[in-house]
Amino acid sequence: MAEGGGCQGHKAERMDYFLQQMINGLTLGGVYALVALGYTMVYGIIQLINFAHGEIFAAGGYLGVIFLSFLTANGFMETHPGLGIGLSLVLSMGYCAMLAMAVEKVAYKPLRQSSRLAVLLSALGMSIFLQNGLMLTQGVYDKAYPTEFTHGGFDLGAIRVSYMQIGILAVTAILLVALNALVFRTRMGKAMRATAQDKVMSALVGISANRVISLTFAIGACLAAAAGIMVGLYYGSVRYDMGFVPGIKAFAAAVLGGIGNITGAMVGGLIIGMVEIMAAAYLPMGGQYKDVFAFVILIGVLYFMPTGIMGENVDDTRV
Amino acid sequence: MTRGSRVWMLFALAMGWLFLLLWPLLGIHPDGSLTFAEAFSVWWKIALAALFGFVIHRLSRAGVFDVVTRPLSRLTQGVGRVYASSPKWMFLVPLLAFALTYPFFTDRYAQDVAVNVLVYICLGLGLNVVVGLCGLLDLGYIAFYGVGAYTYALLSIHYGLSFWLSLPVCAALAAVAGCLIGYPTLRMRGDYLAIVTLGFGEIVRIVINNWMSLTNGPNGILGIAPPSIIVPAMKDGVLVMETVVMRQLSYMYYIILGLAVFTVVAVRRLNFSRIGRAWEAIREDETAAELMGVNTFRFKLLAYAMGAVFGGLAGAFFAARMRFVSPESFTFIESAMVLAMVVLGGLGSIPGVILGALALVALPEVFRQFELYRMLVFGGVMAVMMLVRPEGLWPAARMGKRSDDEG
Amino acid sequence: MKGFSRIIVLTLALCLAMGAAAQAATLKIGSQSPLTGSYAADGNDIANGTRAAIDAIQKEGGIPGFEKIELFAEDDACDPRQAVAAANKLLNEKVVGVVGSYCSSSTIPASEVLDEGKILMLTPASTSEKVTERGLPYMFRVCGRDDDQSVAAMKFMTDELKAKTVFIVDDKTTYSQGLADNVEKLAKEKGIKVIEHDHVNQGDKDFSAVLTKVKDAKPDVFYMSLQNSSSGALMLIQAKRMGIDAAIIGQDAVYHPQLMEIAKDAAEGVYLTFGFIDEETPAYKKFLAAYEKYGKPGAYSAYAYDSAYSLLSAIKAAGSTDPDKIKAEIMKIDTLGASKHIKFMENGDSGSNYIIRIVKDGQFKNYWDPQTGKKY
Repeated sequence: MAEGGGCQGHKAERMDYFLQQMINGLTLGGVYALVALGYTMVYGIIQLINFAHGEIFAAGGYLGVIFLSFLTANGFMETHPGLGIGLSLVLSMGYCAMLAMAVEKVAYKPLRQSSRLAVLLSALGMSIFLQNGLMLTQGVYDKAYPTEFTHGGFDLGAIRVSYMQIGILAVTAILLVALNALVFRTRMGKAMRATAQDKVMSALVGISANRVISLTFAIGACLAAAAGIMVGLYYGSVRYDMGFVPGIKAFAAAVLGGIGNITGAMVGGLIIGMVEIMAAAYLPMGGQYKDVFAFVILIGVLYFMPTGIMGENVDDTRV
Repeated sequence: MTRGSRVWMLFALAMGWLFLLLWPLLGIHPDGSLTFAEAFSVWWKIALAALFGFVIHRLSRAGVFDVVTRPLSRLTQGVGRVYASSPKWMFLVPLLAFALTYPFFTDRYAQDVAVNVLVYICLGLGLNVVVGLCGLLDLGYIAFYGVGAYTYALLSIHYGLSFWLSLPVCAALAAVAGCLIGYPTLRMRGDYLAIVTLGFGEIVRIVINNWMSLTNGPNGILGIAPPSIIVPAMKDGVLVMETVVMRQLSYMYYIILGLAVFTVVAVRRLNFSRIGRAWEAIREDETAAELMGVNTFRFKLLAYAMGAVFGGLAGAFFAARMRFVSPESFTFIESAMVLAMVVLGGLGSIPGVILGALALVALPEVFRQFELYRMLVFGGVMAVMMLVRPEGLWPAARMGKRSDDEG
Repeated sequence: MKGFSRIIVLTLALCLAMGAAAQAATLKIGSQSPLTGSYAADGNDIANGTRAAIDAIQKEGGIPGFEKIELFAEDDACDPRQAVAAANKLLNEKVVGVVGSYCSSSTIPASEVLDEGKILMLTPASTSEKVTERGLPYMFRVCGRDDDQSVAAMKFMTDELKAKTVFIVDDKTTYSQGLADNVEKLAKEKGIKVIEHDHVNQGDKDFSAVLTKVKDAKPDVFYMSLQNSSSGALMLIQAKRMGIDAAIIGQDAVYHPQLMEIAKDAAEGVYLTFGFIDEETPAYKKFLAAYEKYGKPGAYSAYAYDSAYSLLSAIKAAGSTDPDKIKAEIMKIDTLGASKHIKFMENGDSGSNYIIRIVKDGQFKNYWDPQTGKKY
């Protein structure tokens, strides 16, 4: 053991401590980024702060634990652990896509011609509704993820990296690449971008706005579901109100990166995650004020770059 | 007929969809078994209710209820006409009389709910200045409420300043906070403003929770003095001034009623003043307003400060009434609730905001009998209300005519 | 028309009569706790503990003069404003006593309202000193106090673990910070070096930054002061993953079966300060039997059960719903409850019996007694 506080005084200068915190920051940022992607896509297309998105993320986490425990109980996880996780991931993504499309059809679509505040409020109502729905069906206690392997990891010198951290970053990167390909390389993506830029014009050239919007919600929900499962696996449990705080942080991340901009959401998420961790790691009283630092960075960036770091990408005409 | 059957197919599809959403949550168990009974028992209740609602909706579309609705709508129109043509005092006087005599025929609980409604009316009207009149989306409004509450709490326990003297101080400090928050943020538009104000709201709450030496952090501040008044009284045949501490809930009711009436009058006067017109111009089209010579930045800042003043007043009252403040009262969800009141009631409409506050404070209390289902029902009702009346319960009457108004 | 109004009058009269009859036969008590929101888990434990006590009393023959005991379980969401509303609602329902609330910041303003209506309030969970130090005559506390709990933890650190250094983390609530501050103060008195006292926020899920600090500082003891078991489980998992090998000490708020369900092997060997529970006593067995239909008892289930049981048995003994008579009977209680030995002091506190418990093989076990300084 090191002498008294000897190691503590120098920790600010030590590289391994910094790198360890950096990995922590990247992991947290990866989670925010995954949730932020869904926000930014929905916002880009209908300019709605989808408060219910955080709840979709929570539902994804819950469905993950439901499918995983079901598979574990039936002995499937012992024989095919990788396949089991993959299957749960796909199933809960599908579920969340259905849920998000239902929410859109019921609570947002009828209000498309109304003021944006009306839709915002409807979203808030749905958020409260879904959160309490989860609480009532799944109980007030946390649900534990059944897998034990998530504790594993390896040491790189003095730095400890867990497999789950690698997993989160890998999934985030893969989904980001896939999403970029989807949006910029496919006809569907072209339709989405067209609708995001000008609804009237894109309708005139034969793009069905309703279908594109449904699809956007479905894709955003898939990303949220993936984030929910990764969070569940990484942190070990899910809880009915888990969507609320990451929801707000992810929204901040989306705005920070430039709302409607997919790469921006990723960058914003990583920055917010990194700021929180570094504030807690290096600043006195950083632990309790870390959210303050995150928001101050957000306000500062927006003050000098009013459309976010990567620039916004939204239709600014009112339809 | 084909159209009709298509609608029913859609309905069936929606119910099937609902079942697919319900079943994984209720039917897949961690012990590895699958059941359908639970999901089905919940599903058929919802489906039945939905069917009922849907049939009513179809029938009313088909004109079956015209026998009832026609005379009813004619009646409401008639009432509306009478309301519009008769002088306002005819309605205000009975309303005020009802408000003044309310504590005499109600019990404590009803008074408590009424006090809460009135507090939220002040808050809602304050936010209405920012969102409804000036069109700035503010998701951190509760910060001003917190500033007001903590200002009075600190003044009371450290300096023993009376409630009445503290009121202007609270209002002033809240206005200063409004300017501080407004200054860097008001250059942003729309939803950027929303997230930045949300951030400021959270910053204020976190600072309150952590600044131990000033606010006592999560422990809150205890022992705040309730308001008191000095009344002349006869004591041993001599006229003396006596301090009466207004502990009782009914006194509290009258204080907040006074504050609410003050707020209503003030917001109304602001609305119809030059400032109010400038705000509405900014709301409708900021660029055009600037072109017409409105100093948009200054007026936006003024809207922020004025909104904050009412929040600060309500906060001071809240501290005096609870005699205890703690950071739990100033969370983001409270901001969202106040915003919900404004939007639900009708942006920019004073009676609308009052109705909105009444609905959103009273509903969770009415739903108390649902216990665990309380917030679920509340969230659902909120979304449904928006769907039924997207423009609010009592939308504001527009001033003048706009080019895109038809007819 | 005349017939119609007569029917109305008759119906009204009937309703009134029925209401009056029901009132005479029903004893109303209330519970208030966060049934929704972030603390819903503990809040529901409190409501269920109260229900279990009512069942138990009914099973023993009920309370003479009352056919039914009706519970009004109110939700305060740990929001002071809603707590006051709930208290006023209970006051309106003319309940005799209230079990609750959970957050001290809800209990304090609610108790002032209930006090005005002379309604007894027994809190099973609010451990802040302020709850009983305001001199309210009808306020009782069945759980222990923060200051006693930290003394037990500190004694364990010095006498049993022989710790030299401690790292303290709390999550900024009245409860967790109060405890952490007391531990810090006591550590300085006892000559234990407090390497750092850090904070996280309520609702955080990611503790990696602060845990990296803990790992870096290599303390003998990591004192983890958190308001609920779900955060506790998250912190334990992450600490295990980080490879922290310090002795970890928690407290009663993280005492819940879900701690082991979530953290699994990461919870093994964690110490907690908690009231001594003798699982062999008839009182505890009775509690378990009554609670069975509500699932596994949480940290506050037994306290809520004892609160309600004390209240109801005092009403039974007093044979009246007069608050002063009930209070006199409550003060006479001197019996072994499910959670501890219950005997109220003049200020309404009932003393603490904190011991050190340990998580072993996925179960909470009695481990060390600060009174004797010996292991069980």
